[in-house]
Amino acid sequence: MNQPLIIEMRTIAQKLLAARTVGTIIGWEKGSRWYLTPPAFIHNEDQVDRLYFDRFAVNNLAKYLLDYRDSDEKVAVFVKGCDSRGIIRLIQDNQVKKENIIVIGLPCAGMYDRAKVEDPENPHDLPLLNKCLECRYPNPVYADRLVGEVSVSSESGRPTGTYSGFATAQSVGSRADRRFEAVDTLNNLPSGQKALLWQTYAERCLRCYACRNICPACNCAGCIFDSDRKQWTTKAALQSANSFFLVTRAMHVAERCVECGECERVCPAGIPVMSLNRLVSKEINRLCGAYDAGIELKSSFPLSHFNLAVKVGS
Amino acid sequence: MANSLDPAATADDVKRINALLPVKAKILRITQETPDVKLFSISTLDEQLPFPVSPGQLVMLSVFGMGEAIFAASAGENCLEVAVKRVGILTEALHEAKAGQTMGIRGPYGNGFSLDIFQGRNLLFIAGGIGLAPVRSLIKHVLNHRKDFGHLQLIGGFRSPKDLVFKRELTEIWPVSEDFDVAITVDKAEEDWRGHVGYVPDLVKKLKPQLDETACILCGPPVMLKNTFNVLEELAFSPENIYTTLEMRMKCGIGQCGRCNIGSCYVCLDGPVFSLAQLRALPDEY
Amino acid sequence: MKTLNKISLNSALEIFASYAPLYVPAGNETFSGFVRYSTGLEVRLDKNTKLGPKSLLFPRVENLYSYSNHGKDTEISPVPKEIEPTIIFGVRSCDLQAIVCLDDVFLSQTSRGGINDYNYRIRRGNAIIVALGCLEADGDCFCQSMGVDPSEHEQADLQLFDLGESFGVESHTAKGLNLSRLLENSGLLAEKKVAKPRPASFALTVDAQGITHKLQKMFDHSLWDELGAKCLNCGVCTYVCPACHCFDISVCAKDGCNGSTIRHWDSCMFSQYTEMAGGHNPRPGKKEKVRQRFLHKLRYFPERYGKFLCTGCGRCVALCPVNLDITEVIRRVKEAEIDG
Ligand code: SF4
Ligand code: SF4
Ligand code: SF4
Ligand code: FES
Repeated sequence: MNQPLIIEMRTIAQKLLAARTVGTIIGWEKGSRWYLTPPAFIHNEDQVDRLYFDRFAVNNLAKYLLDYRDSDEKVAVFVKGCDSRGIIRLIQDNQVKKENIIVIGLPCAGMYDRAKVEDPENPHDLPLLNKCLECRYPNPVYADRLVGEVSVSSESGRPTGTYSGFATAQSVGSRADRRFEAVDTLNNLPSGQKALLWQTYAERCLRCYACRNICPACNCAGCIFDSDRKQWTTKAALQSANSFFLVTRAMHVAERCVECGECERVCPAGIPVMSLNRLVSKEINRLCGAYDAGIELKSSFPLSHFNLAVKVGS
Repeated sequence: MANSLDPAATADDVKRINALLPVKAKILRITQETPDVKLFSISTLDEQLPFPVSPGQLVMLSVFGMGEAIFAASAGENCLEVAVKRVGILTEALHEAKAGQTMGIRGPYGNGFSLDIFQGRNLLFIAGGIGLAPVRSLIKHVLNHRKDFGHLQLIGGFRSPKDLVFKRELTEIWPVSEDFDVAITVDKAEEDWRGHVGYVPDLVKKLKPQLDETACILCGPPVMLKNTFNVLEELAFSPENIYTTLEMRMKCGIGQCGRCNIGSCYVCLDGPVFSLAQLRALPDEY
Repeated sequence: MKTLNKISLNSALEIFASYAPLYVPAGNETFSGFVRYSTGLEVRLDKNTKLGPKSLLFPRVENLYSYSNHGKDTEISPVPKEIEPTIIFGVRSCDLQAIVCLDDVFLSQTSRGGINDYNYRIRRGNAIIVALGCLEADGDCFCQSMGVDPSEHEQADLQLFDLGESFGVESHTAKGLNLSRLLENSGLLAEKKVAKPRPASFALTVDAQGITHKLQKMFDHSLWDELGAKCLNCGVCTYVCPACHCFDISVCAKDGCNGSTIRHWDSCMFSQYTEMAGGHNPRPGKKEKVRQRFLHKLRYFPERYGKFLCTGCGRCVALCPVNLDITEVIRRVKEAEIDG
């Protein structure tokens, strides 16, 4: 079903490389399994046929722009709705220069949950990822080019573009209003049970930092968790230190998490990392009024912009 | 083998067997060598040599509560001498330590220079900055067994005149030792400096050290090493006759923590001394 | 062969557990690993666990010694090493082969100047390994391609075979025999004439023949740039790997004066792994780190210890967030053209 869209992607990539507008295209290619469509880096025109897009192209590619942070190389990057919010976040954090990137927006029909794969050899139907059911910005909120007739929109709403009907039928965004349900359930646990649950999660955390390394909001050039020299915390995966890590990470992406859900997807320990982010954003909404990160380039931030007129929590 | 072990090992056994456990030692003396280098003399608590080391070998020093770091060591009379340049948190803590303080030491690690190979030959020492520390421990050995070696020459390079480490040996003792030429260069001279100015590789090129029957021992920062290798080869030194010690980040010292490898060699076990010929056979990753 | 009816598995585990602390595979789809057995715990034997048994021999974090500073003096005390015998139940061949790799690193290489690791030696010496042969591959397994026999491993103390209704039980060591006697004395074992089951052939295969040799000529190959570009330098692949053994030693301070020196897992993917105090880093970028990981597994370790540091368990294949698949890497290396 994606064939015309993929051809359009390859064509635009080929043109950008041929005209030397960019040196690298960051997209996806088919991976080593039917249910994997991992990132691909294309530098030559004759490689554009590697580009692929299907409902396993779940990786948010925005993070890779950080690898070009200190170079003047121009790169083009493909984005789904959620990924494009990451791009805005990176621009707002002064991590990438707008003029050095070309953002190509895609229509998205929701991504499949590969964790539900039952037969690794034969393709079969899969449910959508929760984040896609809960998605409010299925269209790119920011793009320099568009493919698949999608439109840029910073309004939350329905999918646009070539298979918008299909996307809606697949329930993309159908649970958007109920996106805080999971965190509410967690939050409403009796406190002893809640503590115990998070203790178990913290114990499990490997401190592999996949959640941090894939996140476009985690974009510090150096992270205190990498450094044993400054001794803010221990590098060892002790339960107490892991809790400190989990909480610090969540607090550090407060007001900046773009809800791409990548942190939770990549966690090898099955920790519901995203629910921590949701908990924080729910609080921000409650205290500072409704706010979604990475929607508009020029927005004021509820936490990091200080406005005398606003009384928090009133 | 795994199965033949005594589960009833006592705390003392643990100390004896556990290679990662430092022994307690104390700082006997501290000498300020340059503004950012101090020389520590470290002995056991009862002022004995903690363990013998041979030139080129390494020891792991710990400041309890701060961590550990690896250094080249040289054996003094009743102590080990370790030159420490202030570069990071641990070396900072060392620099703040006072004589008499307890610290931890474990080792020795690594192969050290293989002294037999140098027997009867002329030796050319080239050292940059604190790289003089391992070279000095070899020089001390050579001077103690002077008749076993031929002509000696040292070319030393430092950032500036005030960065000269082991100054007394460099300027007073070695130059008047038998058959020992010493040349020193600094990157940047100051008022009353009369010696050479410039980088080590250039001075080596200029001095054209003689090469027959000569082994060259070269220690210093990676950039200096790489540039000087080239000059030496231009001067027709063969890679088999050039020896160096490498520095790597190290945690265990016994080939287990995995980080100090170059190819399948562990610098802490198979090094830190390598001939250039050996290095050339390894990936260029140091 | 002696057999144990699967219906009696729980009784067998109870017997083991009363003999020594027992660790068994448990968990669910989201997370599974080896956990301490207690009555009622549901053992998971349908497929291998998300995390292997490595941490039982080489813990994620362990105290080496504690220190306490007073004035100029310091007290140091090795943390008591009373490590009790432990039964690890249900270890698959890939994970047992990985333990053999850890043995190489931590135990047997004294002849090469290495030193036995004290803590590992005690844990390993006290471990009784009950292995469970696999007959069918899970989606990402490729152990056969790495020279591992999924159906049995000679280093097991006690080897179990899946015979459908029952387990075949074969002891390889005195420790294993001990366990099997315990079962026998409780009347749980029967004697049956059955052949050892052979595994089905694996769907996922990769030809690793000659890869070490080929890699010796590929240090500067452009493949590493390409692979490095998509790697996140997270620690997933190395932390889920049953064979990765790298560690760090650091201080865990309790307060200004007291604390302990701990040893804990580290990863060649992390930014400070090889960074020296002065800032120089021999493996600064993503390319160098990715190259180190694959070369260590497929070239350096075989050069040093004569075997791969990958046993084909497939965990990194399943869990890498960007599908940097070691079987693909092996394939790419085999196909790569090298000049000269
Ligand atoms: S991805 Fe999961 S296991 Fe890894 S550091 Fe994050 S929370 Fe911990
Ligand atoms: S290979 Fe995959 S799992 Fe390993 S560090 Fe790179 S991104 Fe993480
Ligand atoms: S490298 Fe991957 S497949 Fe091989 S043993 Fe390690 S985790 Fe398993
Ligand atoms: S320092 Fe640990 S392997 Fe060399």
